Amino acid sequence: MDGAIEAINLTKYYGKILAVDNISFEVERGEVFGFLGPNGAGKTTAIRLLTGQMKPSSGSAIVAGFDMTREPIKAKRLIGVVPEVSNLYDELSAWDNLIFAAQLYGVPRGARGMRAKELLEFIGLYDRREDRVGNLSKGMRRRLTIAAALIHEPSILFLDEPTSGLDVESARAIRGLIRELNGRGTTVFLTTHYIEEADHLCDRIAIIDRGRIVAKDKPEGLKSRVEGRTAFDISFGPRGGPVDGLAALDHVKEVSKLGEVFRVYVGDVTGFLQALADFARGNGLEITSINTVKPSLEDAFVRITGLSPEVMRVEKEPARRGDVGYSSH
Amino acid sequence: MAIAPIEHLLRALYIAKKDAKAYYFKAPNLTYALLMPISLFLAFSIAGPIDPKSITPGLTSLVVLFGTTSIEAVAVVLEKQTGTFERLLVAPVSLSTILLGKILAGLLFGSALGIAIFVPLALALGIAITSLPMALLAIALSSLSSSALGVLASAHAKWVPEAQMLANFLRFPMTFLSGAFIPLELMPPQLQFIARLLPLTYSVEALRISSGGPMTMTTFLLDMVALALYSLAFLTIAGYALKKKIE
Ligand SMILES: Nc1ncnc2c1ncn2[C@@H]1O[C@H](COP(=O)(O)OP(=O)(O)O)[C@@H](O)[C@H]1O
Ligand SMILES: [Mg+2]
Repeated sequence: MDGAIEAINLTKYYGKILAVDNISFEVERGEVFGFLGPNGAGKTTAIRLLTGQMKPSSGSAIVAGFDMTREPIKAKRLIGVVPEVSNLYDELSAWDNLIFAAQLYGVPRGARGMRAKELLEFIGLYDRREDRVGNLSKGMRRRLTIAAALIHEPSILFLDEPTSGLDVESARAIRGLIRELNGRGTTVFLTTHYIEEADHLCDRIAIIDRGRIVAKDKPEGLKSRVEGRTAFDISFGPRGGPVDGLAALDHVKEVSKLGEVFRVYVGDVTGFLQALADFARGNGLEITSINTVKPSLEDAFVRITGLSPEVMRVEKEPARRGDVGYSSH
Repeated sequence: MAIAPIEHLLRALYIAKKDAKAYYFKAPNLTYALLMPISLFLAFSIAGPIDPKSITPGLTSLVVLFGTTSIEAVAVVLEKQTGTFERLLVAPVSLSTILLGKILAGLLFGSALGIAIFVPLALALGIAITSLPMALLAIALSSLSSSALGVLASAHAKWVPEAQMLANFLRFPMTFLSGAFIPLELMPPQLQFIARLLPLTYSVEALRISSGGPMTMTTFLLDMVALALYSLAFLTIAGYALKKKIE
């Protein structure tokens, strides 16, 4: 068995609402694979299908080599799941939560305490092990939820919006944990609505919108789809003639001024550079710097989905937890 | 299945233990369990003409019923509400193991509560316990069927008060129609028929028999079978309802 996860035509209806629309993809072992999409795109539903919390309306998911519908328990032994909303037992201590997770996953009695201690140290909460989880901060709870998902040393970790709603520091800590785990060989499947997070964390990204995968590639690959948008940031020295003629040069599509810097969008790069050199010489201008502006993943996202990047900055309203998974039909 | 049956039972027990640790000794649960039955007991035995001895089995059954249904409501619905139920669903355990855990917890809690009420009262009032094992069995099966009823109400509820309300639909008729305070023989035949549909009737009857009541061993065994069947039926329906919700 090669792949860690394989989704084949996965589809999920909630009553009449089509939440996941015939999606297929594969995740390789050792990869960090991300679902990037706005609120309501179907990310959480996809995770629920992949982790066996729900049955698909049609299609199938093979996770860690097992069909999630036919052999869910075998698959579940090999995966860890970190839900969107941290779901530890507030009434129990950090330590008791981890021990219960170990019991539930069949970690041998002798190994439970050791695993719990290691994980608490890994997430930097060993000192707080006796605290009731209800008294920990949001960021700490999220870290502890990750630890609980790792108690049985799963080979695949699923994280639903791992940094959503966290402060900058906590979010950075979580991203660090994810990188470290992946470095140790854990396959990671995560969802996010932060474009930058997907860019920095994922080896491959699937952009999901209204239940469908609209693009699937490495971040660089997605960016390279934004063709015809090569841009240069150019600065000129104080001497020489006016630079107004810049916009009229051959191959220039658009010019905007960012402070003292001109951002010039061009068509043919070689042609433009030639024209620029002639223009500078002709007007006695000194080019002090010239930088290529790479298209960002945000540019790519906008181009591919047609959505405004603002859509992605809309934070979800806090979920009514009672709804999670129990309000179908 | 790759996981041995004993491992399932063990995990169910861990779930039960966790429930006890997290939820049981919260004050509202114990209050709910004791307040209502004891007020009725006092009302009937002090104000009324009834001998407290004769209603001790009824009181015990009611405390078990109210106690277990209350904690099951919390232990199932609160888990759904806070999202921790998801934690159980993604773990390598089946829905039946989860339900078994919930039921085991209720069984132990209800039995402890029942014994804590029944034995001291019997001693204080001078009730002759014909057979302690029979009394314990009756209390255990009453706890089991009450837990199953609590899980059933909880499977359909989104938040704790809703589960309590659903449970009340069943608890209140049972309080008055199951022979807990008013003996079945004194009821008109139509009500007796209704009483025979209520699981609590069998709890009360079995406890009466084991503490000096006149009826026979056959009746006692039939009561036990009835309680076991009710438990099974409630659990099956609850399991079906929960399964449907996660599909
Ligand atoms: N339990 C549910 N019952 C009915 N509709 C749901 C349920 N959960 C999600 N949905 C709907 O399915 C779609 C996808 O939701 P979700 O998977 O939560 O998206 P995301 O995680 O990307 O925000 C949305 O339209 C949402 O309203
Ligand atoms: Mg979501």
